[in-house]
Amino acid sequence: MPPLQFDWLPHSIRLILAKLPPAVLDELEEIRIRENRPLEVGYGSRFAFVGPDGTLSADHHPGYRPSRDDCRALLEKLTDYSLYAVEEELRRGFVTVAGGHRIGLAGRTVLEGGSVRHLRDIAGFNVRIARARAGCAARLLPELLDLTSRTVRHTLLVSAPQQGKTTMLRDLARAVSAGEWNHPAARNWSGRKVGIVDERSEIAACERGVPSFDLGPRSDVLDACPKAEGMMMLIRSMSPEVLVVDEIGRTEDAEALREALHAGVRVLATAHAADLSDVFRRPVLASLAREGMFGAYAVLSRSGGRVVHRVYAPDEAEQEAGRGARRSWAAPRDAPAPARPPDAGREPALLQRPLPPIRSPDRTGDGGGSHDA
Amino acid sequence: MMLKLIGAALVLFAGTMIGFVQAARFAERPRQIRHLLHALQRLETEIGYGQTPLPDALRRMALVLPPPLSGMFADIAGELRSERGGTVSESWERVLSDNWSSTSMRAGEKEAMLRLGASLGGSGKEDQLKHVRLAMLQLQDEESAAREEQQRYEKLSRSLGVLGAALVVILML
Repeated sequence: MPPLQFDWLPHSIRLILAKLPPAVLDELEEIRIRENRPLEVGYGSRFAFVGPDGTLSADHHPGYRPSRDDCRALLEKLTDYSLYAVEEELRRGFVTVAGGHRIGLAGRTVLEGGSVRHLRDIAGFNVRIARARAGCAARLLPELLDLTSRTVRHTLLVSAPQQGKTTMLRDLARAVSAGEWNHPAARNWSGRKVGIVDERSEIAACERGVPSFDLGPRSDVLDACPKAEGMMMLIRSMSPEVLVVDEIGRTEDAEALREALHAGVRVLATAHAADLSDVFRRPVLASLAREGMFGAYAVLSRSGGRVVHRVYAPDEAEQEAGRGARRSWAAPRDAPAPARPPDAGREPALLQRPLPPIRSPDRTGDGGGSHDA
Repeated sequence: MMLKLIGAALVLFAGTMIGFVQAARFAERPRQIRHLLHALQRLETEIGYGQTPLPDALRRMALVLPPPLSGMFADIAGELRSERGGTVSESWERVLSDNWSSTSMRAGEKEAMLRLGASLGGSGKEDQLKHVRLAMLQLQDEESAAREEQQRYEKLSRSLGVLGAALVVILML
């Protein structure tokens, strides 16, 4: 994995982060910068406060407190000294910097006619580090294949925030476009044309239109485009075989998804939801699900720092959602890791069991086939 | 006698040159303000239509300017994109203050430019355009004042140089 580039951080904070232990930098997930409050990092499903000399501690008192000037410099750097060029992003509350890292912003909103016009006095920043994990979809993809039509099923990836949806989606797009199906029946299939609508510039992290993440040889990216409109544009102009979109949930997204279905395009989409019963509670997703729009649901969750997935067929999904009582929330970040399932140590056999809790390979993975970008 | 003549010629030459340099400064000032106005017009387009990031916009400004001015904006852009990268207003103020003496412009123009630098990049598009236009208005005022001065003093300082040198020579002889 290439070392993280923090070009977009002001000098003072970059110096502190550079002193973090390499093991922490490798696992870094979040950097939280709040004006006059201690600097916090999230790494490997934990969090800690960072002292001025780069030491980590659970106690917030020794934490480095970014000053007002630090925050002003950070905002200027993030926006490349050009607030005027990111007005739309400010309205939505986040900007994306080079490398695909998304930075959430909190401050005082300025309203106009009841809707948010822009943000001012920005004093809270949440940097979410984007990582490419090439190969993390290798276990998931074979379960999503539609063997009769030689492509993938319409799939909804579901998880609570911070569980690796976007990383998984990115690698699915890469594998589909590169033809790495990882399935014996699909050995002679070639890659498919993939169209990606990257509304938040997170999937591809385009720089001047060229993706900075590896998305395989047959991907086209529509950067920073509203999803609903983007899906229609891609279908009309780029003839994709598989459409990839992040975080659907609005009414117009559903319209565009239906359109895509009738245009014979397969869709890989993600949605925020703790579990399937949540999916069936969200109006737009529920109506799509009831129409039988999705051919598979993949629920991602983390257990002990690993991303675990479970694939449901539509009828199973509805049953599962009916069992809504077994509701689970995302675990708090400092909660102890749940016990590993007994078979966590060995590779689960593919295909013999239809619904095994399969661990995705990741950096600390012990199985073969784990490799990093 | 010979030595005296040579000395007189030297004094005459030096005085004439001083006069010409003075005159050139009077002629140069409105020209530089005009260049600056063109560059700001460019900046206005970059912000308003292109939504170009400020460092890139400053680089493009530098491209349309002749040397003493182009260097300043290229320097600011370079400083913003550098490793340290301070805030816009800091870099802007430092570079302008360091280099202003190498131009023919005066305090009025400098003040207008510094005021622009203090707000550049820090607000929405409409607001930025207002600031740029305000700076352009101030520069236009300075330009017309500079042109008046040029008409009044350019020739005067040239002849004053020659005549002053002639006076010194007469007194010497």
